[in-house]
Amino acid sequence: MTQQIKGSSGIIEPDLARRVNLDTAEHDVINPDLTRSPGKGRRRSPLRWIMLAVGLVATLALPWLVYPPVAMDIAAWALFAISVDLLLGYTGLLSFGHAAFWGSSSYVTGLIAINWGVPFPLAILGGMLFAMAIAVPIGYLSVRRTGIYFAMVTLAFAQMVYFVANQLSGLTGGENGLQAIPRSFFGIESVETDSFTFYYAAIGLILLGTWAAWRIVHSPFGRVLVAIRDNPARARALGYDVDRYKIIVFVLSAGLAGLAGGVFAISHGFTSLQELEWTTSGKVVLITVLGGIGTLWGGPLGAAIVVTLEDWLTSSGFEGTGIILGSIFVLIVLLFRHGIWGTTQDLFQRRRKAD
Amino acid sequence: MSAFVQYTVQGLAAGGFYALAALGLAVIFGVLGVVNFSHGACYMLGAVAAAVLLDVLHVHFWVALAIVPVLLFLVGVLMERLLIRWLLRLDPLYNFLLTFGLSLILVDVVKRRYGVSGLPYERPAGMTGQVHLGGIGLPTYSVFVCLFSLLICGVVWVLLTKTRVGMIVRACTEDADRSRALGINVGRWVTPVFGFGIALAGLAGVMAAPFRAITADMGGNFVIILFAVVVIGGLGSILGAVAAGFLVGLVEAYGQAYAPTFAQVAIFVLMAGVVLFRPAGLFGRDETA
Amino acid sequence: MRSRKPAVLVAAAVCGCLALAGCGGGPSAAAGKFSDGKVVIGLLNDQSGVYKDVSGPNSKVAIQMAIDDYKAKYGAKAVAKTIEIVTADHQNKPDIANTKAQEMYDRQNADIILDVPTSSAALAVATVAKAKRKLFIDITAGTTALTGKSCNKYTYAWAYDTAMLAKGTGEAVVKNGGKSWSIVYPDYAFGQNMNKSFTEAVTGAGGTVQQSISTPFPNDNFATFITKAASTNPQVIGIMAAGGDLINFVKQYNQAGMQSKAQLAVGLMFITDIHSLGVDQFAGTSFTDPWYWNLDAQNKAWSDRFLAKTGTRPTFAHAGNYSAAMNYLEAVQAAGTDDADAVRKQLDGKKINDVFLRNGEVRSDHRVVHDVYLVKVKSKSQVTQPWDYEKIVATIPAADAFEPVSVDCKM
Repeated sequence: MTQQIKGSSGIIEPDLARRVNLDTAEHDVINPDLTRSPGKGRRRSPLRWIMLAVGLVATLALPWLVYPPVAMDIAAWALFAISVDLLLGYTGLLSFGHAAFWGSSSYVTGLIAINWGVPFPLAILGGMLFAMAIAVPIGYLSVRRTGIYFAMVTLAFAQMVYFVANQLSGLTGGENGLQAIPRSFFGIESVETDSFTFYYAAIGLILLGTWAAWRIVHSPFGRVLVAIRDNPARARALGYDVDRYKIIVFVLSAGLAGLAGGVFAISHGFTSLQELEWTTSGKVVLITVLGGIGTLWGGPLGAAIVVTLEDWLTSSGFEGTGIILGSIFVLIVLLFRHGIWGTTQDLFQRRRKAD
Repeated sequence: MSAFVQYTVQGLAAGGFYALAALGLAVIFGVLGVVNFSHGACYMLGAVAAAVLLDVLHVHFWVALAIVPVLLFLVGVLMERLLIRWLLRLDPLYNFLLTFGLSLILVDVVKRRYGVSGLPYERPAGMTGQVHLGGIGLPTYSVFVCLFSLLICGVVWVLLTKTRVGMIVRACTEDADRSRALGINVGRWVTPVFGFGIALAGLAGVMAAPFRAITADMGGNFVIILFAVVVIGGLGSILGAVAAGFLVGLVEAYGQAYAPTFAQVAIFVLMAGVVLFRPAGLFGRDETA
Repeated sequence: MRSRKPAVLVAAAVCGCLALAGCGGGPSAAAGKFSDGKVVIGLLNDQSGVYKDVSGPNSKVAIQMAIDDYKAKYGAKAVAKTIEIVTADHQNKPDIANTKAQEMYDRQNADIILDVPTSSAALAVATVAKAKRKLFIDITAGTTALTGKSCNKYTYAWAYDTAMLAKGTGEAVVKNGGKSWSIVYPDYAFGQNMNKSFTEAVTGAGGTVQQSISTPFPNDNFATFITKAASTNPQVIGIMAAGGDLINFVKQYNQAGMQSKAQLAVGLMFITDIHSLGVDQFAGTSFTDPWYWNLDAQNKAWSDRFLAKTGTRPTFAHAGNYSAAMNYLEAVQAAGTDDADAVRKQLDGKKINDVFLRNGEVRSDHRVVHDVYLVKVKSKSQVTQPWDYEKIVATIPAADAFEPVSVDCKM
């Protein structure tokens, strides 16, 4: 395995090396599996195109397989998870406050749709821009700290957004939520009333967001991010303005989370404070880690599993959703840190090497 | 004037809960490098344990104050031995995530076992009503919480500075690498220190039992405020955690008294200010974390 | 399939003739009037969170009791032969409630959804009911928006709302001598509305509100506000917090030794709150209850049946679910179909007297009005059996208990 670069981070960043029992050189920074990082040109196989085709077909077939509103939830959470992965998997920053962007966008989307009655993609665009706007100050302050501090600071800021939204009950409807968000779409009635056709009208936005994430990751900018993740000091020494890169990716990630949140709000026809709660931030991190970080495929996979599982548990009569999700999560963190997607990929690669 | 004194005492009482729990969080972080997300859940376990002990075994509040931290110490030892230990060599974010998952489980287990509408807890004798100090009536229990948490923080401080064990722990907290270089077996202290940190959260929980609603969810918001507290105080700093705990309690109380609309936001504004001007925290040393 | 069609027609015609001949043209139980041949009642509520004990899984037992009673009452004449209950746990999350409600109506063929605590979740379900043209009777959510701004033809509010609680407690406590008030309310929509309604009720009845103090929400430290509220020496302190925050407040109120200084009036509370905090913590507190299990022999008898099945005494929500399910089935019986519009016409304007509703009436805005009760929590020594917590101070007649029809409601 390619561990040499990771090892060096322990020398340059004194704080990272302060772990106990650090008697070996092994030091697994959040998923720096360089064999999978972009730009290596190693995996340009037809397999990738096959996977892409399978993914696309699965996305389009989803509302046939599961109940359409649930399918839309899966798609929205998938993009939300991808936005978190952009920070966690590719930049090494764990945001525990992404609900702030998902939730605030859902409110702004809803308000635009209610007050101006514009076609829903426009309303979602407005929500997304708002999420990016509030991400600027939050990002500016949060990137001053890394690692665990970053997680705690983003969590606290998201909580602040929650309280503010709760205070502005005249605008947000307080704990009643923002109800009756219309789904106008150029007067096409089947999209506006039927959740099955709506899925196909809205999935384009989700795919667009996913494509944007893919572009970011595979651009020179994305490679700098990976360099920052693996060794911030070296990236800085090479002349990159590390903080600026982090703020930019933070804002981009907030935009994707906002896009997903807007779709979610339109799909449900309302939004509520729950979308701003810290538990929502926790859920999306859970989805991301479960699926596998640093892969972009992990988010959709994790979202499909968690949303379907939750949907099933709510009618199952079993009262311990947290016990099941929590246990799965603990197991993943303990044993399969690359998540379901990453672990499967590892197995594949190991077998190929053995051949 | 008398109102101001009352608000101050109430702020210090609220701060006492934060200070005790944040102290536990800081010690654990110092020695293990772990930010324990389940600290709120452990605080909840402390309160639930006190309520269950009273209900089933008729264990009095004052006795619970001694027993429950010991129980929580054992819980902490188990957590460390079974789970935390395996991830110590990795990026600390993994343990952050692990303890997040753990708190989901703990909260739901308590919900399933003890329901959700809260557990009853009888007021401890002699702790109701008000005490009068210089003509100002102060709620007895608030005064007690305030003094008791200060006392515990003081005791912990003496333990850390005056005893050999404490000095070792403090050395590990301040600089684990150098301690190791000086021949201290840091690994030996990991388990008891984790248990100790959890016990402090449990102690805060017992103190909360007569005073706050005992529900499975009571730790949820608490742990977020705790994070703000340790960010303000500086994560690695023991003094910082205690001072920031009381500071946040005061900000909360004054905010509630004079600008209730902004009371909750005030804590996070304070935190934003600290991050902006003193990124390492009020009492933290300036180094990249 | 096609070959069987004539046979079905013949059978239907024969049945129709027999029915006409048999009972002289009463509503027939002809096949085809029931979607999928059965009545499906959807119970959508909180089965794991804060409302689990107030309503939760035991509401299914209450609905089953209604189904049994319906079958026993009509026997062979019952038009609904097969009645099923489907349940789901919305965990108080409105987005789950929204998805589950759609799924219940679309996939599980639910003809009606019952219960739905938590205002945001209830409003989300009301929107779905309107879009799908299916019935929804809310029992455990307290928002007035259900019969105000967000009202619709398919949504009913069966048990209570926040305005009724404020009006009931505010007016009745003033009439009983509690003239001067301090109100403490959490600073979010529910608390603000409660504060407004309480202030109107208290001043309307001739009392004075010395101060209204807002608190953050959620909050676990009320000491500052208690000090503030007590500073003007009011006779009554009104607290508008609910759930965990209410318990926090009451604990700290008692810790501060306030119990002997001012009477406590609570905006919204459930009997389960008294049960969980212990009766002595709440002793002497006034609040309005839509229903009490030990009010009279009728309630007691029903509660004994419920106790035998569940091991616990019913809350108003359990009785409300029973009543809503029973009246729905009666309406189905009268309409001879489970078609939502036909059943709705049977319910609208109906006057009801049953174990839950006294002098009940389904108003034009689909607010069900009925007698409610101002109660005082007993002291520990007065309690003679488990759950025996409330003393009825006054019965507030249906006509006075609720706000008039809202001008915001346009169906």
